[in-house]
Amino acid sequence: MGDLTGLVLKRLGFGLITLLVVSVLIFFAVELLPGDVAEAVLGQGATEETVAAMRDQLGLDRPAPVRYFEWLFGAIQGDFGVSLISGERVSEAITGRFINTLFLAAYAAVLAVPLAIFLGILVALLRNTLFDRVANVLTLTSISSPEFFLGYILILYLAVKAKAFPAIASLTGDMSLLELLHRTFLPALTLVLVVTAHMMRMTRAAIINLLASPYIEMARLKGTPPWKVIVHHALPNAWAPIINVVALNLAYLITGVVLVEVVFVYPGIGQLLVDAVSKRDFPIVQACCLIFAATFILLNLAADVGAILTNPRLRHPK
Amino acid sequence: MSLFVTGYYAVLIAASCLAAYLGKRSIFMGIFSLTLISFLVGIIGGAGALRTITILVGILALAAGISYAFREFLVNISGPNLARELRTAPLTAAFGMFVIFTYAIAGIFAGWIAPHGEAEVISSAFAPADANMLLGADQLGRDVFSRLIYGARNTVGLALLATVLAFVMGAMAGLLAAVKGGWFDQIMGRLADVIMSIPSLIFALLMLSILGTNLAVIVIVVAVIYSPRVFRLTRAVAGNIVVMDYIEAAKLRGEGDMYLVRREILPNATAPMIAEFGLEFCFVFLLIAGLSFLGLGIQPPTADWGSMVRENATLISFGDITPLIPAAAIALLTVAVNFVVDWMLFRSSGLKEQ
Repeated sequence: MGDLTGLVLKRLGFGLITLLVVSVLIFFAVELLPGDVAEAVLGQGATEETVAAMRDQLGLDRPAPVRYFEWLFGAIQGDFGVSLISGERVSEAITGRFINTLFLAAYAAVLAVPLAIFLGILVALLRNTLFDRVANVLTLTSISSPEFFLGYILILYLAVKAKAFPAIASLTGDMSLLELLHRTFLPALTLVLVVTAHMMRMTRAAIINLLASPYIEMARLKGTPPWKVIVHHALPNAWAPIINVVALNLAYLITGVVLVEVVFVYPGIGQLLVDAVSKRDFPIVQACCLIFAATFILLNLAADVGAILTNPRLRHPK
Repeated sequence: MSLFVTGYYAVLIAASCLAAYLGKRSIFMGIFSLTLISFLVGIIGGAGALRTITILVGILALAAGISYAFREFLVNISGPNLARELRTAPLTAAFGMFVIFTYAIAGIFAGWIAPHGEAEVISSAFAPADANMLLGADQLGRDVFSRLIYGARNTVGLALLATVLAFVMGAMAGLLAAVKGGWFDQIMGRLADVIMSIPSLIFALLMLSILGTNLAVIVIVVAVIYSPRVFRLTRAVAGNIVVMDYIEAAKLRGEGDMYLVRREILPNATAPMIAEFGLEFCFVFLLIAGLSFLGLGIQPPTADWGSMVRENATLISFGDITPLIPAAAIALLTVAVNFVVDWMLFRSSGLKEQ
């Protein structure tokens, strides 16, 4: 077992290093600005005094590496500095919205993961039938559509025509869970459609890959009933790829959530990021990017660790 | 029971009987399951729902017909070798090629096809469709149909440019990394890891917030974001080729790195790379459309599908489908490219799922 923890720890270390490099990238990207942050934000209306005052306020006179480490240590403690536009603390602007985004992603994941795995296994068993072909075309269409296309179709049919769900997912503090789930159903459904399609295709490929292996052939030849072949023989080995697929798609959710939040005017961190980008509010942009990147790296890490834990062969790298 | 409903079931049942009689099992199963589903849908939704099904099936049949005809057309105009390949193309791939062909025509000849200019204001805001404006006017009174046609040139053109750039950068780096190996390979590989560890949309937003949104910046940023994918594929494919004996022989002959890349490796790596180009185009196209939708991509008044969706989004709440049309145009092209890529991958890998 010591071998196993070592392997997992090594993987975690790699993830940490990647995160560190990404944080360097995010911080120093802003240094690429022609001039500096103060000039860029104040723009045309800048006088020398205002620029100097802003530089002073942001501490731009100190060297960049020093400011990087200050920013990084602040970020680790949840302090991302002050918004350039509103003067609000970035951490306060982000916290509530981040919880909203996590809620939306979790809602979508809870619906999508069981559905996708079930359907993926189903199409793998029924491969090359009409059902499989139709599913193939439908999932491909769903993957190829931009998130806003699916979102607006759902709004048109389920919100405007059928009036079953609200088109705009506005949240207030005192809503019951049921009402919350009803309000956020359409954005969650949009995410579910995209992610389920991805997951279904990947699960199908993983299962088909597995069913082609000789020991499954053997089980079939000795007369094991089909359900038993799947449950007893195929599934234990299929967990590794399935866990991988799930983690990768949760990571994918993170990007998809930005467009979906904008379509449904959902008060999440993606919407905040897009607003901050158009206003050029760099501390918020940096903080949001760091959070998104960290979540993404974390989920990819989970995929790797999950694969190591469920597949003993990966524990002995050649 | 109206005449339409009677006719509807008569046609379905007759068609399924015919299919069963001719021994076409999968066609029979398809049509007969449709009949059974129609019973259910008809009871719940009434004749209106059956009409919708009829229209959908009609559209599907039309698409299948066009794809079949277009495949025959391609087979007839191409040379014997290409024709043999094309004959094996499934209908979905033929449909994809037809859509790509149509978009190419619309994009190249946009100036002649579009009845009005892309930024020309010709009526009041949100004017309904008439003989002059096929799809009505947008929020400033510009013709939506003309902007859609120009969008084929602007949006697709930009995505194509970014894809080509990403491809050139990624493929060059990948090939050189495979040939040179050593520290160059290591540095490029780690660089690709870092870029791929940030979600692409987030990375694009970060760079655009810093560098501003003009076309050159968008193209370069998007190309940089997606080049690691090409790099990894090229590196893997070329890595398998580099260990071959004929590469060794060429090296012993004293050929330079560029000769190896151009004359020995590239010709053997084209099949997977063409398929990758298609996939890459889909990713780039969706990213650029997403950025435009967020108002951070192609800037007005240039016609562009992503921003057209955003500008007309308010119409959705009145039950108008105008904003869905450019979004559907994006989806249709991506689906079409994916269909073609699917077929190419299947053909080049020779993978036969049992």
